[in-house]
Amino acid sequence: MRGESGRARRAGLMLAAGAERQTWLGRRLPTGLVAAASVCLSVAAFAARTAPPMVGLSAVELVMALTLCPQRRRLARDGARVLAWQTAVIVGLYALRYGATEWHEGARISWQLFLAFLPGMVLLRSTPAPRLVQALNRVMPYRAAFVLTTSLRFVPLVLREVRAIHEVQLLRGARVLPRDLARPWNWPDLVNCVLVPAIIQSLALAGEISLAARARGFGCGERRTYWPGS
Amino acid sequence: MTEMHDRDSRTGGLPLKEALFLGFCAVLILFTRAALRLHLQISGHSMFFTLFFLMLARGCVSYRLSATFVGVLSGLMAMVLGLGKGGLLIPLKFLLPALAVDLAALLVPGLFGSYLLCALAGAVASSTKFANTVLVDWLVGMDQAVLIQRGLLEAAGAILFGVPASLLIPSVIRRLRAYGVI
Repeated sequence: MRGESGRARRAGLMLAAGAERQTWLGRRLPTGLVAAASVCLSVAAFAARTAPPMVGLSAVELVMALTLCPQRRRLARDGARVLAWQTAVIVGLYALRYGATEWHEGARISWQLFLAFLPGMVLLRSTPAPRLVQALNRVMPYRAAFVLTTSLRFVPLVLREVRAIHEVQLLRGARVLPRDLARPWNWPDLVNCVLVPAIIQSLALAGEISLAARARGFGCGERRTYWPGS
Repeated sequence: MTEMHDRDSRTGGLPLKEALFLGFCAVLILFTRAALRLHLQISGHSMFFTLFFLMLARGCVSYRLSATFVGVLSGLMAMVLGLGKGGLLIPLKFLLPALAVDLAALLVPGLFGSYLLCALAGAVASSTKFANTVLVDWLVGMDQAVLIQRGLLEAAGAILFGVPASLLIPSVIRRLRAYGVI
């Protein structure tokens, strides 16, 4: 399609990301089974309240990440970043509310949350989008399945854009640092300088993904076709 | 040809671009809900972002069931991921406020331009937490008096957070209209 911009082309490449990159085990296991295992592990992480089940769950998820994820170093880097930020926030809030002695409870919650999200991260990074849509298509219409998987796949990009907007607005002098936001009169800055541009960016991104999908023939037929098919 | 292609790439009468934006809203509801899963014992705090994204979805996309679409998507994902209390009834937590937002937008055409109307709609949508709490507690066999008191407390907490979220919507929608985005 002539009108496809550079960003839309990139969006198109992301739509097909991971199509070839799968581990030996990932290629052999049915996507539905991996998705079901991921859901069970997430639910188990929310149910785990004491150390022994959490240690067991950590071991199982580590094995899952090592055997299924093709880009382990990248997963480790992204996971460590999420965990560090999340732990700092949660432990800080617990210390504020219950006193510094309760920091370990905050750390436990943070680890529990991480265990709940890790299977989803592994599933999304180890399964090509077409296979994920194909699995979801068994339980919902293919257009809805496409919207769901594409939204999940692009949320990290949306969050990266929000972070970039936040940093640029800080350079412009917007009062959007956490310590500024402790004062309610700075909240309009957050809405005007971060929230509104982030929504505009999300709408633009949705337009570009839609253009990229249409350029690749999405919606041309009554039934969805998959590549690589099965 | 292009028109036919555009029509074909619709999701249940909704253009793909707008469906994807609603999908982002649904995922962001879950993301913020999970981030706020801190056990700080502040009831109703997750309603802030839930209602903000539901109202934003309805305000940005002129489709009658935009908020419901977001509610269904986020409810299904929350159920699958086991987020929140309520098991198989989790989708109701998202669906009831979403239906309230869509209904309010249908009945009051200029809803997203007025702070007062948005606050009222936000309060009504947040108060649906009462029905949800009462239903879950009734199913586990809680005493009727306690059940209603707990439902009222939960609904009050949800309104406390839901109304400020809905008050953000008119200024955001006005700015988006000024930029010509919607």
